[in-house]
Formats: sequence, C-alpha cells, structure tokens
Amino acid sequence: MLSPQLLPKTPNPLSSIYTPNPFKSLNPKTLKPSKPNFKPKPHNPTTIQSVLQWNRKPQLAGDTPRVVVITSGKGGVGKTTTTANVGLSLARLGFSVVAIDADVGLRNLDLLLGLENRVNYTVVEVLNGDCRLDQALVRDKRWSNFELLCISKPRSKLPIGFGGKALTWLVDALKAREEGSPDFILIDCPAGIDAGFITAIAPANEAVLVTTPDITSLRDADRVTGLLECDGIKDIKMIVNRVRTDMIKGEDMMSVLDVQEMLGLALLGVIPEDSEVIRSTNRGYPLVLNKPPTLAGLAFEQAAWRLVEQDSMQAVVVEEEPKKRGFFSFFGG
Amino acid sequence: MALVWNPQFHSISSQPSICGWKHGISSNILEHRRELGLSYSRYNWVQQRTARSFLFRALSKSANSDEDKVVKTETEINGWKNSIGKLQETIKSFPPVVFVMKKDVGINFAIGLCVATTILVVAVRVYVARKVSSSRPGSVADLVRRGQLRSDRRGISSPLKYEDPFNNPLVKVGKSNSTVEMCGKVYRLAPVTLTKEQQAIHQKRRSRAYQWKRPTMFLKEGDSIPSDVDPDTVRWIPANHPFATTASEIDEGLAQNNVYQKHGVPFRIQAEHEALQRKLEALQSEQKLNKLVIDPTNAKDFERPFKHLTSHEQAGQGPSNRIGSDSSPEEMQKP
Repeated sequence: MLSPQLLPKTPNPLSSIYTPNPFKSLNPKTLKPSKPNFKPKPHNPTTIQSVLQWNRKPQLAGDTPRVVVITSGKGGVGKTTTTANVGLSLARLGFSVVAIDADVGLRNLDLLLGLENRVNYTVVEVLNGDCRLDQALVRDKRWSNFELLCISKPRSKLPIGFGGKALTWLVDALKAREEGSPDFILIDCPAGIDAGFITAIAPANEAVLVTTPDITSLRDADRVTGLLECDGIKDIKMIVNRVRTDMIKGEDMMSVLDVQEMLGLALLGVIPEDSEVIRSTNRGYPLVLNKPPTLAGLAFEQAAWRLVEQDSMQAVVVEEEPKKRGFFSFFGG
Repeated sequence: MALVWNPQFHSISSQPSICGWKHGISSNILEHRRELGLSYSRYNWVQQRTARSFLFRALSKSANSDEDKVVKTETEINGWKNSIGKLQETIKSFPPVVFVMKKDVGINFAIGLCVATTILVVAVRVYVARKVSSSRPGSVADLVRRGQLRSDRRGISSPLKYEDPFNNPLVKVGKSNSTVEMCGKVYRLAPVTLTKEQQAIHQKRRSRAYQWKRPTMFLKEGDSIPSDVDPDTVRWIPANHPFATTASEIDEGLAQNNVYQKHGVPFRIQAEHEALQRKLEALQSEQKLNKLVIDPTNAKDFERPFKHLTSHEQAGQGPSNRIGSDSSPEEMQKP
C-alpha cells in the first residue's frame, strides 16, 4: 500500500532497497518550495530514518501538462475509482487537474465524484458548437483546482469522423487556455481496446495501468501495455488494486511482487481491498477525502504522490503482522 | 518387601496424621488395618491394584516369627518415613503462600487486601478505558446516539476535507523499516525487486508479441476508404458503436475551431441566432410582421404575465427578442 521513502542523505544499509528514484527532471513550477520539511532527529543521526511522504510537498516532475491515461483493458478493475481518487489527491496536493471521462457510452466518473447533476455540457456539445470548452468543464466545489470534463452524455454518440482526434484537440485547447495550462490531465479510459481506447490514449504521454491480482486482469493488462508501448507511450506504471493481504498470506492470491514479475512494470501504488470504496461511490465522495482516512484512501494518496514525482514504489506491504500487545493489554491496557 | 509395600501405603494412607500414631501399635493391628485398607481397596480401586494388594497380603501372612515381624515393621516404618519425607518435600515445594496464610492472619489479610486492590484497579481501568473509547465528549458517537447520524455511515460522514494532507498520524513506519503501521494495523514490508533489465526484457517480449499501429481514422463498416488514407491506420467500427452514429453536421475544421474557442457565443448558438434573425428579417421584408406585432390595446388583456412591463415597453419589444425569453404557455398560444 504505502512505501516508505528514506531520506537520501541518511546512510543506511537498506538504502539500496528503499532509496527512491532520482527525479527525472524537476519542474521549476513546484507549488511550494522544494525544501522538504523533514524532521531530523539530531540526537541520533545514524539511525535509519524513514519518513513517509506526507512530511513535505511533492515536487512536480516532467513537463506540464502531464497527460496521463488511466487504463486497464479489463473492465471493473477500478480505473474510474483510481481516476477520481488520484485526481482529487492531486488537487489536494495543490495541482490543477482536469479529469476527462473518455468513456463515450458508459461514463461514470461524474457519479464517483458526485458531480452528475452539474454536467450540462460535454465534449460532444463543444464539438458541435453548442457551448465553449470552459462551459463544459465542471469545477469541483470541494477542490476548486479540480475540473471534470465528460466526453458525452449517456446514450449520446460521438461523431465518428473526428472521434480519434477530439481528445488531442481538447488537450491542446486546455494547454492554451487563459488561466494557464493544468498540471495534470487525467484521462479515464474505457475498458477494451477498441475505438474508445484508441481515442483515450491518443493524446497521452504516460499511462497508469490499473490491474487486480488475478490472471484475467493480468492478461488484459499485458496486452494493453503492449499496445501502449507500440503507440510510443513508454512511461507506464501500474496500480495493483483490490489486494487482500490475508489472501496473499494464505497463498490464495498473487502477491504484488508476483504481479510485477508477470508484467514487469514499475509500481505506482498498491490499493488494498476496502469496503469503504463502495460506500464512497454510493455517496459520491472520493475515498481520499474521507475522514478518518481509510487504507485505500491513503494508498491512493500515496500513488498520487508518486505520480507527481514520477517515482515508483520501492517496498510493498506483503502481509499483516499480528500486533504486539503489551503485558497489561489483557487488563484493558 | 519394602518395594512391594511402599506403593501400597502411599496409596492407602495419604494422610500423615494417621501415619504418626501407627508406630506404637502392634503389627497385628497394623496388619488388620492393612487388611481393612486392602479390603477397602479391593472394592474401590482398579483391578490392577487389587491384584497387587492380594499378593502383598499373601506375602505378609507367610511370615511367622515375631522377629521377622519386628524387622518387617521397622522396614515398614522406614518406608513410611521415606514416604513422609517425600511428602513433606513435596509440600515444601508448594508455593508458600497457602501455608503462610494458614499460619499468620495478619499477613494473610495484607495479601488479601493486595489482591482485592489489584482486582479493583484492573476493573476501574477497564471501565475507564471503555468509557473513554465509547463516549468521548463531543465525538461523532454523540451524534449517532442523538440520532443525527446513522451509525453505519460513520466511516465517511464526518466533515470531509482534511486540511493537512501532509501530516498523517495514521501511518507510521516501524523503526526497522521492515514494517509499517497503518490505521492501527502493522504490515510487513518487502522490497521491490524489479530491475531495469527485467523491465527491458518484458518490453522486448511485448514488442514481439503485440505489433500494433494506432489507427488514426475511424470508418463505419461498409464505408469506402478515402484514397489518401493508409488502410493500416483505419479502424473499422461496427454500426452499433457509440462512435458510429453520425454523419456530423459540422466538418472537422469547424469542430476543431469550436474546441479552441475561448470567448464569445458558441458557434451553433450564434448560427441559430443568426438564422432566426434572417428569418425575421425576411418576414419583415414581406410585410408579414404586422401580424406579429402585439396591438397595445389587445395586449392589456394579457398583462398578467408581464405586470412588471409597461404596455409601452411591450409595444416596443420586438418579437425576435421575445423568442429567446421564457414565455408563459398563454403567451405561446397567442398568434
């Protein structure tokens, strides 16, 4: 779920395991200063000091806008959930985000975000000239730097002639808009590898592959990865969703490391199975905004963090350890 | 003999007090008692022991002389002493508290007090812990108790922005870096072992397995390929696909312009507006406009929906402006 990041400065024997990748290119447009707010312990500087990634603001790597397609091949593995949660996490981290629901016939992202009543215009209307692009962008009231754009209304259809090009135009238009280019454009890709998929990946520079640790999902993921690589998208990271540590422990489910061995992709995040996902979907309130935070919400948040820094996980959670209880715990301590 | 006797006496008379006054009694009585004991044992004990005691009685009766008896009694007594000694040792090895309590009432009381205090402290602590966890004043649990909030929605019902995503007390990494504690549960960590080489091998495998060129043009099944288009880049779309509808009314360049438009009236709205205006102008030029103009005298009958407007304003308002506004059903019915 979460991976600890060691301070690069601290010498430690495990650093080869845990040290994060060096950032490829740090964007000068970081939100707040690049000075990380670490809390060093002066009294014992030699200890292995691991900090979680909350202790500083993430540094935006790569050129903006980062156009990220979230895809999987198989349906129902959590693409839309991932888009909603990672998108809102990015917004909470202070980046401006436009999430595009590229599922033409079956859009759902608006439901997950609780914005379904506010979608009046879609890309189809923009293309037809019924509205401008800025009118079709639905701004989230919770985090005003998050905007949603739906490709079409349910049951409406996209003109075939420029289906493939529509998203490229959109991304170009978003880049050139007056209030500045968004930092992230997340494209929620439809399942499958047909026209919807082709449309969704067209403008993307990088991809997040969502998969579950089962063989059906993995085969589709492998195929989709192949297609993405053929299309020239080399920066592909995966999120392993719906992981159950208890089943991994009982050897009933592939571990995350097994999944990685099969796909050979860097890990962006590992999301545990969490009943709160369904509740938050029902409520139209993404997990990452839950308080108290849930396990899955925390994991999504960390994944968003790594996405910002173009980092990948260096350690994964494998199983639950029985918590050590004190002597007096029996007596209610 | 002693070997035979010892287990017998252990089993019959386990009370040391009985053993104490047995020393002064003649061996006959002793033997009698022994028989009693044995007969008792015959009824109550298991079969194996009964057989052994029968053997023992036969042996003891076969000894005739008094000396033999005396010697035997001494042996018996020695055996007893041994057994009593063992018993005493066993008793000594018991936790002393029980015996101390019997001896001294004062210490006994003190210990009792200690035990009672401990139990009381434990009970109070458990009670307080439960009370604190269940009813922290002002917590969400209070809302649930008051019926303001459904308890099954607790997880996501509290005010939902948490202001500082950079400070999360729910996640702690263990000191050894091999564990992480999240939401109260400790998880073991394992390092990721994927190397760049492995990644490259997978990429090569996939590039062999999947050779694909992203189609740039979608065509409905049955359409003909335009002459300037590479057939490899065409994606054929079945007729029931969401993309496959439509002959779009606008061409590609126009659609692109629509997407890029930043200000002003959207293309189609403007086009419709202009079309309408042209139509009205045409009507005006044909002198049919007279019928559309509302006669101020007749308009008074319909003043109700336009109370805020003066009749003069109504007369001055062109029909082209009226169409865009929200008109009441009555108004719509009017010619």
